[in-house]
Amino acid sequence: MNYELNDDQAGILAGLDQLLAAHAGGPSGEPENFFYGAALDTALAESGFLDIARIDGFGPLDAALVVERLARLPQVVEAAASALIAPLLPLEPGERPLALVSGDATRPARFLPVARHLLVLRQNDALLVSMEGTSIEPVESLMAYPYGRLDSLNGLSAQTLANAVDIRRRWRIALAAEAAGCMAAALDTVIEHVRTRQAFGRPLGAFQAIQHRLAMAAETAESAKWLAFRAAWSDGEADAAIAAGFVQERIARFTYDLHQFSGAMGLTLEFPLHLWTYRLRALAGELGGASMQARAAAQAVWGVA
Amino acid sequence: MEFGWSPEQDAHRARIRDLLRDTLPADWEELSVHGPGSDYQTDYSREFCKLLADQGLLIPHWPVSQGGEDMPVWHQFILGEEMWAAGEPRGAQYMNVNWVGPVLMKYGTPEQIERYLAPVRAGEAIWCQGFSEPSAGSDLAALRTAAVPVDGGYRVSGAKIWTSYAGKADTCFLLARVPASEGGAAGKGGIVILLTDMRSPGIQVKQIPALVGEGDIHEVFFDEVFVPAADRLGEEGQAWEIINFALANERTGIARYEFSRRILDRAVEKLKDEGRWGDPVVQDRAGRALMLCEAARMLVYRVVDAKAHGSPPDAYPSVARWAVVQADNGVNDFLTEFLPDGLLGGDHVQQAHHQRAIAAGVASGAAEIQLNLIARRWLELPGEARR
Repeated sequence: MNYELNDDQAGILAGLDQLLAAHAGGPSGEPENFFYGAALDTALAESGFLDIARIDGFGPLDAALVVERLARLPQVVEAAASALIAPLLPLEPGERPLALVSGDATRPARFLPVARHLLVLRQNDALLVSMEGTSIEPVESLMAYPYGRLDSLNGLSAQTLANAVDIRRRWRIALAAEAAGCMAAALDTVIEHVRTRQAFGRPLGAFQAIQHRLAMAAETAESAKWLAFRAAWSDGEADAAIAAGFVQERIARFTYDLHQFSGAMGLTLEFPLHLWTYRLRALAGELGGASMQARAAAQAVWGVA
Repeated sequence: MEFGWSPEQDAHRARIRDLLRDTLPADWEELSVHGPGSDYQTDYSREFCKLLADQGLLIPHWPVSQGGEDMPVWHQFILGEEMWAAGEPRGAQYMNVNWVGPVLMKYGTPEQIERYLAPVRAGEAIWCQGFSEPSAGSDLAALRTAAVPVDGGYRVSGAKIWTSYAGKADTCFLLARVPASEGGAAGKGGIVILLTDMRSPGIQVKQIPALVGEGDIHEVFFDEVFVPAADRLGEEGQAWEIINFALANERTGIARYEFSRRILDRAVEKLKDEGRWGDPVVQDRAGRALMLCEAARMLVYRVVDAKAHGSPPDAYPSVARWAVVQADNGVNDFLTEFLPDGLLGGDHVQQAHHQRAIAAGVASGAAEIQLNLIARRWLELPGEARR
């Protein structure tokens, strides 16, 4: 048991931070629902950080550390699926971005407009669909990811994969790590806001009603983070379902409170909070949502019936 | 970063489980229903802790110079986790080894260390904690029990309440206030800690019937009780620092989530026996309770890990305590809804868990105080003073 980074992990994150420093400053231009970090995506792909789990001596925990760190950025890039799920697929390093959808292949999928492949997770198997030469219908939404959908699978090259259980487990870990990073950044944003924003002659953050709910939000963010890292470390069914289910269960309350404390500013696109809360809200419904994860966790720990 | 146990830690845990299995009475579940503070468990603790002492498992985390083995922090924690999950057969004495002893080692005089630690080491000492008063619960600094300086010591008058273990305690870790009229400082600065012999003339203990178990909480009245100056711990004015040191150990000392997790495991077995486990609603709710237990575990482990690394104290124990309270109550809510007969005379262990859970957010200070501490010390939000 050791919650501190080992030398390798500290080195990876220091290197990642160095790369990210070149992309610091966040998005510019008109406020948008989300900012796709195209330049950052290219830099990440070239650097190899998203392939860390494929390297001998490294694994899913190292990938989850990278994913959690990247999710804190205001700009969005496809990292979680590439870092944690792609190593299970017949894809070479760098064959990315990877879009994910569960159930019906024509449902809206995150990152589909920029993806080279779409992974369709079904009950007992998965389909890996090549997107080359395909036109994607963009989906307009409030969610802070680029979404797109396929008309159909007709004419597309698709490979059936049998390892649906492994893919689902890694998807849960990826979701948990990404959500944990989003929570950390969203909380930081609102903490800064309530420290400075004055109402009734004092900072918002001096009101106990706000302090208590932010303290609870802090517990949520910390729990989400450590559950995600443990799940990545063990790569186990129960830990993965617990981590994903916990964070999905908490997202509604967490995002409600953070927007509430940001007032009307938090309803505008000028205030950056939505860049994380509308990723969280997107993640809340993935893989069937908290109830599916809770039941999966229960079955993993105690058996089916 | 990694989240596994070393072979030594696994062996340590297995040794404790074996000892518990071989030692506890066959009807322990029934005997322990009223909790660590019950008369039965207080008496049993003297027998059990002697055995632990003989096995080197009572104070292994204490320094060698004080009779311990300098056992690593994680080993100490594993011991506490297993004990609490088994219904805390150390009874009141868990407190001795977790914080009374360490506090005395840090702040006691050589005479105090000699006098008080020997019975703790032998597994014979019962302490009670004279903190809360009728008008000072979580707001501890509001306490009013008076310690009037007199020749050779103090005369103590006042009342303590919700005091666990007082009925059987030998010594009280008593907080009292030197009145302003006698030169005592205002607020926290006027508090003194008096290691008070519970057999002193003028002390009266009255048990309070309670939801949390028979014999667990008491009122303690002090009527002109003389406490020698030699029994004051630390200096006048130093009490608050000592209390904070003690509470930091107390707040992470109890692995409540582990008892909750094991009760949850047990409940699922019962639901399976009753043919109800196939219900997806039951699985959903059990899974959510499980998530709360595991979240609490991860945060408490984070606190222990920081201690193991020698990191300076921070507000993380408060974050962990909030998660622990959610876990205890989440499991309790699940059991109350899905296995209600357990609280209607059907299940001693479930009732024992229920009684622990309803106290989880109150014992050692309201959990909402922890939210204040998280806000101020972890999130660094502005306080009232910055108005």
